[in-house]
Amino acid sequence: MNESLLFLIPLLPLFCAVLNMLFGMRLPRLFAETMAVTGVAGSFVLTLLFWGMAEGDGTRAVLFTWLSSGTLDVSFALNFDRLAAPMTLMVTGVATLIHLYAVGYMHEDEDYARFFSLLNLFVFAMLTIVLADNLLVLFLGWEGVGLCSYGLIGFWYRKRENARAGTKAFLVTRVGDVFLGIALLWLFAVTGTLSISTINAQASSISPVVVMVLGILLLLGACGKSAQLPLMTWLADAMAGPTPVSALIHAATMVTAGVYLLCRFFPLVSLSAVAMTAITAVGAMTALYAATCAMAQREIKRVLAYSTMSQVGYMFMAVGAGTVAGAMFHLLTHAFFKAVLFMAAGCVIHLAGDENDIFKMGGLARRGPVELFWVFLAGAVCLAGLPLTGGFFSKDGILLALFTYPDPVYRAFWLIGVATALLTAFYTFRLVYLVFAGEPRGTGHPHAVPLLMRWPLWPLALLGLVGGILNLPVFVGGTERLHHWYAGLAGRTVKASHEVEWMLVSLAVVIVAAGWFAAHWRYRNYRPPLEGAVSRFLLSGWQADNLVDRLFVRPFTAMARFCYVGCDRTLFDGSIDGLARMLSGWGRMLVQLTTGRLTTYLSAFAWGFLILLGWFLIKLVNGGGH
Amino acid sequence: MIPFGHALAFAGALFVLGLSCVLIRRQILMILIGVEIMLNAASLVFVAASAFWRQPDGQAFVILLMAITAAEVAVALAMVVYLWRRKRTLVADEFDGMCG
Repeated sequence: MNESLLFLIPLLPLFCAVLNMLFGMRLPRLFAETMAVTGVAGSFVLTLLFWGMAEGDGTRAVLFTWLSSGTLDVSFALNFDRLAAPMTLMVTGVATLIHLYAVGYMHEDEDYARFFSLLNLFVFAMLTIVLADNLLVLFLGWEGVGLCSYGLIGFWYRKRENARAGTKAFLVTRVGDVFLGIALLWLFAVTGTLSISTINAQASSISPVVVMVLGILLLLGACGKSAQLPLMTWLADAMAGPTPVSALIHAATMVTAGVYLLCRFFPLVSLSAVAMTAITAVGAMTALYAATCAMAQREIKRVLAYSTMSQVGYMFMAVGAGTVAGAMFHLLTHAFFKAVLFMAAGCVIHLAGDENDIFKMGGLARRGPVELFWVFLAGAVCLAGLPLTGGFFSKDGILLALFTYPDPVYRAFWLIGVATALLTAFYTFRLVYLVFAGEPRGTGHPHAVPLLMRWPLWPLALLGLVGGILNLPVFVGGTERLHHWYAGLAGRTVKASHEVEWMLVSLAVVIVAAGWFAAHWRYRNYRPPLEGAVSRFLLSGWQADNLVDRLFVRPFTAMARFCYVGCDRTLFDGSIDGLARMLSGWGRMLVQLTTGRLTTYLSAFAWGFLILLGWFLIKLVNGGGH
Repeated sequence: MIPFGHALAFAGALFVLGLSCVLIRRQILMILIGVEIMLNAASLVFVAASAFWRQPDGQAFVILLMAITAAEVAVALAMVVYLWRRKRTLVADEFDGMCG
C-alpha cells in the first residue's frame, strides 16, 4: 500500500471542515452533519486499514517539503508507528461517536456549520499532533488545537462569560506553548534537525544539563495543553462550551496531547532523572489538587473537569515513572469512560431541564431513560477504579510503577496517588448519588433526549468497562498486550513480585470500597452541601484564579496602566503636545503682526530700512579699520 | 560748484522729510506725496553723483526715474479714486481688510 495514503487520515477531517466552513450553511443540514461525521469516521476506517503499517518500526511518509533553507529542512512528514497507531485509532473512534452525539445535541442550534467545521478541524489538529514526525508540523497541530478549543469553548459567544472562558483557555494554554516553542527551537539548535525520530535517536549525544532543561520545557509545554499545575485554571472554565466539545477536549483531543507529547519525547526526557521527577511531581500534585477540588464542586461538568485534570495527573505520573505503556493505557481507558461520562452528563442536564447544579438534581435514575443511569454508572465505576473495570487496571498499573520505582522519592508520589484514588472514589460516587439517588429536587422541565444522544454512549461504556483487556497484567492471567505492542517505545518494564502486586491490588480494592462507603454514608440520603470555609476554598479550586489574578493579572494591569498613563500619556503625549502648543502659540503671536493696516507695514519697512542701514554702517566701520 | 557732501546732506534731509511724511501722515494722498519726495531725494543723489564723477549715466537714470514716477503716480491716483469710491474716505488705516 502506498505510504503517502497515510495523509488521508488527517486530511479527511480537514477536507470536511473546509467544505463545511465554505458551503455549510448552503448545504442541507443533514448533508453538513453527515459530512462531518463521515470525515472522522473515514479516518477511523483508514486507520484500521493502515494498521499493518504501524508494525515493525512504523512507516514514515513525506508529503512535500514545507520549508527548505540551508540546513533547515521542514518536510511535511508523518510517522505512523506503534505509539501513534493506537492513539490515532482512539482519537478517530471516540471522536466519531462524539460527532454522532453532537448531531443529536446540536439539532436545535442554528450555527451548525461553524460548529461542525470547528469540530472537524479540532480532530484534524489533534491527528496532526499524533502523527507528526516534524516538530514544526507538530507545533502546527498544537496551535490548531488551541485555536479550535478557543472557538468551541466560546461557541455560544453571545454570553460574555462563554467568550471569556474561550479566551482564557486560549491564553493559558498559550503560556505553555511558549515553552514548547522554546524547546522546539532549542532542539533544532542542538541537533540541527526538526525530525522527531531523528532527535530521539540522537538524544543520548546531547549534554545532560541541556536534556534536563529541555525535559522541563517540554513538561511546561505539556502542562498548558493538559491542564496540569500551574497552568490548569482554564479547564474548569472550559465547561462553558457545548457538551460534545467538553467530551472531545477531555477524552480525545487537547488534554491528552500533553501526555502524548511527553510519550513521544520519552527517549529524550527519560535521560534526565530530574526531568522525570519533575514530571511525576507535577502529575502527583495536580492529581491530588484536582481530586480535592472535585469533592466540593456543585456543577456536574465541573466535577468531571476536575476529575479529568486528576486523571491526566496520573498519566503524567506514569510517564515520570518511566512507563509509557502505562500512561497510554490509562489515556485510552480514560478517553473511553470520560467521553461516556461527559456525554451522559449532557443527557442528564437535558433531563434536569438545563440544570447544572447536582444539588438540584436527584432522582434521575427513575426519571429518564433507564439505560442512561447504567451508562453513567459504567463510566463512574471506571473513573472510581472499581475492580475489573478498565480504569482499575490502568490506574493500578501506574501505582505499581510508582511503587516499584528505584528512587525512594517515588514512594511519596505513590502515597499521593493512593490518596487521590481514595478521593476519586469518593467524589465519583458522590456525583452518582447526588444525581441519580433520592427524590427529584429540581424544578426544571426535562427535555426529550434524542436517540442520537443515547446510543453512542453504549460502545464507549462497554469499551471503558472491558478496556482492561488491552493491557491485562500477567498476575491476573493477562498478557500485557499494549506493553508488548509498544515494544521498544514502552519504556520501563515494571517488575514486581506477585505478592507486591496482589498487595497493591487489595489496597486498591480497599480504597475504592472506602471511598464508596464514605460517599454512601454522606450522600445516600440527600443532605444540603456544607458551607464552611474549606468547601468554599475547594469550590473555588484553591483560589487558583484569585492567585493568578493577584500574581500576574493585576501586576500586569498595573504595569500597563503605568506605561499608558505614566509614560505614554504623560511623557510622550505630553512632550509632543507641549511642543505643538508652544509652536502654535508663537504662530498666534506672529499672526498679530499682520494687522492689515498700511501704516503698520510702512513703519515695519522703515524699521527694516534702519536695520539694514545700521548693518551697512557697522560693515563700513569694520571695513574701514583694515 | 556745490560740494558733493552738501548735495548728499541735502538729499539725505529731503529723504528723511519724505520718510517722516510717509510714516506720520494717515491720508493716502499725503503718503504718496511723501513717497514722491523720497524719490526726488534719490534723483538728486544720482544727479550730484553724476556731476561729481563726471559721468552722464546718473543723469540718464534720472530721466528714467521721472518716467517711472509718472507712471507710478498715474496708477496710484487711479487707485486713490477707486478707494474713495469704495469707502468715501482716504484714511489709510480704514483699509485693513487684507490681514493674515
